[in-house]
Amino acid sequence: MASRDFQQRLQKALQNPSLRGALERFADSYVVSREQVFAGRDFQALRERIAAIKADAAGRYEELAREFARQVTERGGKVFFASSAAAARDYILKVAQEHRVTEIVKSKSFATEEIHLNEHLEGHGIRCFETDLAEWILQLMPGERPSHMVMPAIHLPKEEVARVFSNYLGEPVEPDIKNMVRIARRELRERFLRAGLGISGANIAVAETGTVIICTNEGNGRLATTVPPVHIAVFGYEKLVPRMMDVVPILEALPRSGTAQPITSYVTMITGPVPVERDGREGPKEFHVVLLDNGRLKMAADPVFKEALQCIRCAACTNVCPVFQLVSGQVYGFIYSGGIGSILTAFFNSLADAADPQSLCIGCRRCAEVCPAHVNIPDLVLRLRERVVKEQGLPLSYRAALRGVVAHPGRMYTLVKAASRLQGPLSRGQPFIRRLPFFDNFTRGRSLPALAREPLRDRARRLAPPPERPRLRAAFYSGCVIDFMYPEIGEAIFALLREAGAEIVFPAGQGCCGAPASYAGDPDTTLHLARLNIASLEGAGADVVVTACPTCAVALKYDYPRLLGRDEVWSRRAQSLAAKVKDFTELVGELGPLPRLQGEAEAAVKVTYHDSCHYKRHLHLDQVAREVLREQAGVELVEMAESERCCGFGGSYTLKYPEISRALLERKLRRIQETGAKVVATDCPGCLIQLRGGLDQKGSPIRVMHTAEVLYRAGFKAERVE
Amino acid sequence: MGSSDLLTTFCRQAEAMGAQTLCVAEGEKAADRIIASMRPLGSRVALVASPLVEEIGLEEALAGAEFEVEKEGRDFARHADIGIVEFDLGIAETGTLVHDATDLKKRLASMLPLHCVALLRSGKVVPDMAEALSFYLKSGQWPGYLAMVTGPSRTADIERSLTIGVHGPEGLLIVLLG
Ligand code: SF4
Ligand code: SF4
Repeated sequence: MASRDFQQRLQKALQNPSLRGALERFADSYVVSREQVFAGRDFQALRERIAAIKADAAGRYEELAREFARQVTERGGKVFFASSAAAARDYILKVAQEHRVTEIVKSKSFATEEIHLNEHLEGHGIRCFETDLAEWILQLMPGERPSHMVMPAIHLPKEEVARVFSNYLGEPVEPDIKNMVRIARRELRERFLRAGLGISGANIAVAETGTVIICTNEGNGRLATTVPPVHIAVFGYEKLVPRMMDVVPILEALPRSGTAQPITSYVTMITGPVPVERDGREGPKEFHVVLLDNGRLKMAADPVFKEALQCIRCAACTNVCPVFQLVSGQVYGFIYSGGIGSILTAFFNSLADAADPQSLCIGCRRCAEVCPAHVNIPDLVLRLRERVVKEQGLPLSYRAALRGVVAHPGRMYTLVKAASRLQGPLSRGQPFIRRLPFFDNFTRGRSLPALAREPLRDRARRLAPPPERPRLRAAFYSGCVIDFMYPEIGEAIFALLREAGAEIVFPAGQGCCGAPASYAGDPDTTLHLARLNIASLEGAGADVVVTACPTCAVALKYDYPRLLGRDEVWSRRAQSLAAKVKDFTELVGELGPLPRLQGEAEAAVKVTYHDSCHYKRHLHLDQVAREVLREQAGVELVEMAESERCCGFGGSYTLKYPEISRALLERKLRRIQETGAKVVATDCPGCLIQLRGGLDQKGSPIRVMHTAEVLYRAGFKAERVE
Repeated sequence: MGSSDLLTTFCRQAEAMGAQTLCVAEGEKAADRIIASMRPLGSRVALVASPLVEEIGLEEALAGAEFEVEKEGRDFARHADIGIVEFDLGIAETGTLVHDATDLKKRLASMLPLHCVALLRSGKVVPDMAEALSFYLKSGQWPGYLAMVTGPSRTADIERSLTIGVHGPEGLLIVLLG
């Protein structure tokens, strides 16, 4: 269960309309401007270059650190290797005290926030002034938290800033942005000129030359490193790259990804001490680098999480994260927010501190598409979740459900059958459960599907006999949702494939794919189910294994080979199964137009397509599905805005974070309704649950169908799609 | 890209990033044109001596036009309205100026005043960042303070509303010479 603090922050954020409005407005325009600023560039090639450079660096931080330090020292600077936050704080305090510094100017630096430097120095009577405008505003508002990595004060309306400035100056300040920026310039200019020490972070550090690179738009980074007589640059090992030319791709991607700018106003490259004015005379500046470990070297030695050190802190991942847009950086509780932030927090703070932040990820994979350092954030979050579960254990109810029921297909079948008989009065004769007693929050805004009276595995026995000389033999892997909730999808698939001349069977003994366990951080249950399903599907002796659920497909294709990778025999079996797995719609696309599917096109029905996250971003079949639908007579495909945004299902996520799930659903339903379509097609039974449930509660006549059902109704059954 | 294409791209990008550009052809009276554009910006000038400044006789011209010119001293550039600095290179792709700003005066004059006049020889425009970095890598020891400047200082920290002139100049005039 999430900690109480975390829950409180979450509720507060979800109920703050100005926070949400600001983040959503930004996120919407960001998507467009990011596209524009990358237009004509080979983003894939660029991010592979960055990933290669940073992965290589992460493999030899200590060597690079030595080279970097040698270069800086040769020029007359000093490098301190800080193993922990405390070591870094103490060193910085010592330097400040040696110079009898009473005031410090800082340009934005994550590392100093990570080590809580300001509090430490203030505790010793040294005042630290943040000079980045947003950071300064937040500093003037005790208790206020940054809401975004790159734009920390994005949530504050200008009237609020004006109030803060009025308080600070002791005179009325109008909420005029230009004027307020001028006030900040005037006030902070004084600080720059008086400060005895400037502290900066770094975006990149080059070992070859001993260079610290800082990107800023405001110019505070330049002043903080030019005016005070002493400069300390504080940053982590992950900023190191071997050579100067390595900065080219990073500087190409960083501002474009962060704020959709081709370049920041200033890129400052500092190498050793440079001249400075001290007591009216010019002399060399004193230059220190604090190279922060604080968990990074351990991370670099971790075969799984080393990848997260490729991160260049651009915040593109949070900019596109649908969950982050609802909750903001204030909820995560630590300086690094979003999915990537939870991973960094696990190493820079502790695994326990990362437990709540990581649980916010719904696994939509939107972030992975835009990350310029090619970090597979959602997969790393899952690996992190596994470690959290290993340490803290699964909540008891989960454990009982996953290991006691889901792991055993026979028990699951019996239980579901029993439940389907019991649910009668709840579903009121409708295929929906509109309200669950005791679980009101869960069903608010969303009806639950009723369980089918007869699961697909029972119906499959009665379905039509195979064609005489089948083109191919297919085994259907149904997954739980189709089997127990929507067997009619399976029936449509059986009918369509038989019509196409294929033989299709339902292998006995198959069970849940294990995804619910994987997403709960319980890979052992998935492993158990993997062996069981592999054995069952092998037994069918089929040419292809057909799935109609992308989550199941991902489990069969990618998770099983990974989980069984160390076991020679099982690994081979997993891989040969993986090679046979094919999504139903993909198979239809390959088999060519099905004979009876090209009926007379009477008035076509408007169908809009919802991209399921895994279907688009894991299986990459989003365009295939559209082609299949477009070719279908009787269907007029109309696109909805934001078709690729998560509908908020995410399995047990709907239970854990019902408010987030519902907010995502609401937005999706609006987009669907805007199209004027009569039918929404999708290729994921999970999305089907969410979308049908949401539209039902709205009393909307719009139907939600699996692509297989659309094809079945439009063509084979010669029915109108509606 | 030919050198005139580079120059055109550079100017277009620099303007897109909020800088103003002024191209002075060979034979034109460069100093007069610069002074004409500087008039509305103020009268106190922090000037960093450089070969180009010398070549076009800018210091004398400024003095003649009744600007208050400082070239060094305690508090250099702190009270000036305009800083004038020569840059080494321009990067066409992003409209960026680059200079080795190890010399303190170069830094102060380009950072502190509200306006910066950047002088650049028009033959010194390179296509991209990689070329610019190679230039310095080839020319011996890596500079102590390499500064890249693109447009004026800017912020979008309050309500994401783009506002220019935070800690650095709010006006950047790039003068391309001959
Ligand atoms: S996978 Fe989706 S929810 Fe998770 S961090 Fe990435 S964008 Fe956010
Ligand atoms: S994980 Fe990728 S997208 Fe997110 S901040 Fe790091 S580099 Fe940027």
